[in-house]
Amino acid sequence: MANEVLSISTAGVEATLPPVRGRVVRSRWLYSVLTFLTVFGPGLIVMEADNDAGAVSTYVQAGAQYGTRLLWILLLLLPVTYFIQEMVVRLGIATGKGHAAMIYQRFGRWWGMFSLVDLQLVNFLTLVTEFAAISLALSHMNIAPRLGVPLAAVVLITMVLSGSYRRWERVTVFLCLLDLGWVAIALKVRPSFGEVLHNTIVPGIPQGGVTASLTFLVIAIVGTTIAPWQLFFQQSCIADKRLRFSDVKWARLDTFLGAVFTIVVAGCMMLAGNAAKMHGLTFSDPAQMANDLHIFSGDFVRSAILLLMINAAVLGTTAISLSSSWAYGEVKGWPHSLEMPIRKAPGFYLTYVLCVGLAAAIVLIPGAPLQLIILGVQVLAGIMLPSAIIFLQLLLNDKEVLGKQFINQRWNNWVNWTIIIVLFILSLILAAQVAASNLFPAS
Amino acid sequence: MSVLGLLRPAVITEVPENYFVVVHPLDDVPEQKVNSSGLGAMPMTTSVKLSLMALRGYLILMMFLVLYHVMDLAGVFGPHAR
Repeated sequence: MANEVLSISTAGVEATLPPVRGRVVRSRWLYSVLTFLTVFGPGLIVMEADNDAGAVSTYVQAGAQYGTRLLWILLLLLPVTYFIQEMVVRLGIATGKGHAAMIYQRFGRWWGMFSLVDLQLVNFLTLVTEFAAISLALSHMNIAPRLGVPLAAVVLITMVLSGSYRRWERVTVFLCLLDLGWVAIALKVRPSFGEVLHNTIVPGIPQGGVTASLTFLVIAIVGTTIAPWQLFFQQSCIADKRLRFSDVKWARLDTFLGAVFTIVVAGCMMLAGNAAKMHGLTFSDPAQMANDLHIFSGDFVRSAILLLMINAAVLGTTAISLSSSWAYGEVKGWPHSLEMPIRKAPGFYLTYVLCVGLAAAIVLIPGAPLQLIILGVQVLAGIMLPSAIIFLQLLLNDKEVLGKQFINQRWNNWVNWTIIIVLFILSLILAAQVAASNLFPAS
Repeated sequence: MSVLGLLRPAVITEVPENYFVVVHPLDDVPEQKVNSSGLGAMPMTTSVKLSLMALRGYLILMMFLVLYHVMDLAGVFGPHAR
């Protein structure tokens, strides 16, 4: 094992290594920082890419309807997202395989195919919503969507075609960090910091009590913050990056920091919605909100929201398309790595190109049923999520595969089963709404 | 060592005493992962098998329900369907 050789060399004994590319440092502290930086990436990307176009819309809507009163839900979701993705980290590092491959192998063909088909379907519908958001933001910036959407698709395809995982990761991490712009927007709209802090820490029900619209908004927030593609994406990403057993602690830190970053950004999106509420603005989408807020908060807020909407959609598209490509490659047995050139992994890259290209094309069809697609995404993702986490939980209790080192501890299982039960209840409420919407009168 | 030196990896064959080596995972020698290829399907208790069968039924039902709902909203069953 490579890191065993390295651990000998770091124990204070002069040693000879097989030739590897690396950096020699004297300070243990610097060694830790640089090692973390080499591992850093998949955790931040999987979390922040989940703040995609749909998430922007949901969080902004939550802020516009309920102000800062739902911020505590985000704080509650921080450990939930971390615990789920931390299991993915362990499974990915221990097996070096993607999630789809593991489900296929350990639960058989039916579940393997079901997971794959369901993932591809939800992912594709989500991609259409991402491009719909790009189209919407571009039209508010006076850029014709028929030019801007294909251009965005070309940029997204170019991002992965370099045959270098590292190049894709650097660009994507940079895009993730651009989302700090939401923090600047939140500061610019001047919320009451005392109120923000109070409503983040102290759980409370907004005025009007528990209504159907509040219930579904909460389900939408949960469904937006934890998505099925994340499980597949991070495990495949870790396998592609070839993270080592010794990297587990740094990958956990990456995932934790990613979760914190994402929740902070999501909170700032809610604060932007809250600003619209404070000014008595009503809107149907974040782009319209950006336009209306411009009167009170200036050009910066308008331009930043529109650009960050596009950034959110681009991030979501690259991560979701890759989760589809990796999963398909794993199940089909095709070569599937960003480190490979196109000629060595044609099926993997073709899946990515088709996902991006078809989703962009659908958005450009006049009269495409985008509202139906958005509804389909929300419902299918809500139904699929609890079952996807059940498989993750079962895999993390698979002693044959993981042994004692990576298997779930008793407390892990308690936490995870609690999360699964809560998600199932939310999923059932969603299912009931789909089956009999009259049960939930509008309020 | 300069900052540029830190950022630029070089080929290393020897490590001086009391120094540490930082290697990017993609530059490292691939390590042997847990071999799960010959294990086949996961052994499960009857209750787990039954639970998964129930989950399968629930998911199939829900997929049809969603399909029906979306088609209904799209007006496939006519304007009076809802």
